[in-house]
Amino acid sequence: MSRRVYLDHNASTPVHPEVLAEMLPYFGDVYGNPSSVHGFGREARAAVDVARERVAGFLRVRPDELVFTSGGTESDNFGLKGLALARGSGHLITSTVEHHAVLRSAQALEAQGFAVTYLPVDQTGMVDPDDVRRALRPDTIAISIMHANSEVGTIQPVAAIGASAREAGVPFHVDAVQTFGKVPIDLEAMNIDALSFSSHKIYGPKGIAGLYVRRGTKMVSIQHGGEHERRRRAGTENVPGIVGLGKAVEIRARDMKAEAERVSALRDRMWEGIRARVPEVRLNGHPIERLPGTANICYRNVESESIVLGLDLKGIAVSAGSACTAGSVEPSHVLVAMGVPLDWAMGAVRSSLGRSTTAEDVDYVVESVVEVVGKVRKAMPVGTA
Amino acid sequence: MRYSPTLVDHFLNPRNAGLMRDADGCGSDEYEGCGDLARFYLRAREGRLAEARFQAYGCGPTIAAASVATELAAGRALEDLTLLKAQDIEDALDGLPEDRKHAAEVAAGAMRAAALDALRRGNVAVRVAGRRGAVVRAAAAGEASLRESPPSETSL
Repeated sequence: MSRRVYLDHNASTPVHPEVLAEMLPYFGDVYGNPSSVHGFGREARAAVDVARERVAGFLRVRPDELVFTSGGTESDNFGLKGLALARGSGHLITSTVEHHAVLRSAQALEAQGFAVTYLPVDQTGMVDPDDVRRALRPDTIAISIMHANSEVGTIQPVAAIGASAREAGVPFHVDAVQTFGKVPIDLEAMNIDALSFSSHKIYGPKGIAGLYVRRGTKMVSIQHGGEHERRRRAGTENVPGIVGLGKAVEIRARDMKAEAERVSALRDRMWEGIRARVPEVRLNGHPIERLPGTANICYRNVESESIVLGLDLKGIAVSAGSACTAGSVEPSHVLVAMGVPLDWAMGAVRSSLGRSTTAEDVDYVVESVVEVVGKVRKAMPVGTA
Repeated sequence: MRYSPTLVDHFLNPRNAGLMRDADGCGSDEYEGCGDLARFYLRAREGRLAEARFQAYGCGPTIAAASVATELAAGRALEDLTLLKAQDIEDALDGLPEDRKHAAEVAAGAMRAAALDALRRGNVAVRVAGRRGAVVRAAAAGEASLRESPPSETSL
């Protein structure tokens, strides 16, 4: 097996060579603590400031509205808990298809006495903005809806939800980890008050992410210590990481549009190839409003892990929609919320394409999927082979 | 790779996969935790296994376990097969990760059930012309209770 095809960009991406080059000095020559007043510290501070300016320019916000964190999970925890705890008590609105970083933060807040409404989604995985409006209560203190779902790629109508939030005077947090740097985000038009974003989904390094907090939004810290990040997030800044994030964002600003078009076409080529040659398949998620590179495909009556293994043996990296741990399978909470029947949901496989994906890769994947699914189905009691 | 070369080989090239018509014995087992399922069809000669076929639903290790079980059981006395242990199958696969032990359990359970079924039915009745359909229907009824859909009619 020599050929390797990575179709798991929603999980993580390789660091862009230009990003790596920009980061390297900050592991060696420039090692000061940005909080130090001496020259070594000032050098590091300057690099952090440049990166912050780059991200702020990309999102069209003020640099002091950005807080760097350790990852998307921390940003989501900070966004949700920061808004809720600043208000002490009340009601939160979120959806059933959020990332676990949001869902479990909401559950943790419930355990502390907050009330939470988990909104359903339609069969494409989309939240109805009218449902958000109807769920609003006098004591609603925050709304958190993701921009795009990592599993099926459906892009939520955040502008319409943001309009309702603004009208009701309720702060609106958006988990944009999967869309930041992939599709346009207009924080003003979408009335977003807090936005989680990450670096390693856009060819930046792992261990660095951020939260945008609109100026004037009441928010408390969830990590305490020093005076870093304008006292909003304690801890010495991850200088190489921040530099890498800044560079990754700069590259995305340059490449994002063209890459989205190219990757969408490849994704469609893959789906069309699979649909034409493999019986009993379905594409999950919204047919139009979705991430450019994401294709979540269900193979009926096949267990997804057997497909993932078969493709892995051919050098292809995809991810299973259902996770089998110690003999217990949990179908994806997203597919369950979308009402995908179990005999389909158990066979969900997500492919997420990226900047390195080529047409040859896609054709190889289609050939491999035809072979692997055919082989697995041959052994299946309800197979179609 | 967390799986042995033997397991990978059986997953990629399953031995004796598919349905058997007019089987002398049929048995299934399902692992409740994840719905993984194995089913064996056995043909017997003078109390010994002459031919086995399997169908399996589940992760790669479950398919491999069912495949290797058909080789492990070949030529053995049906009585022996009613005592087949999960460990025998795991050994034949050169090991299983801790969180995939159920693959061997489900295959062993299904093979024991199939051997018991063959012993219970005896081989003779199955060979009588005209009763063949009845036997096939009995096997199909047993399967229907394990999965909602009927088994594939395609012989593989």
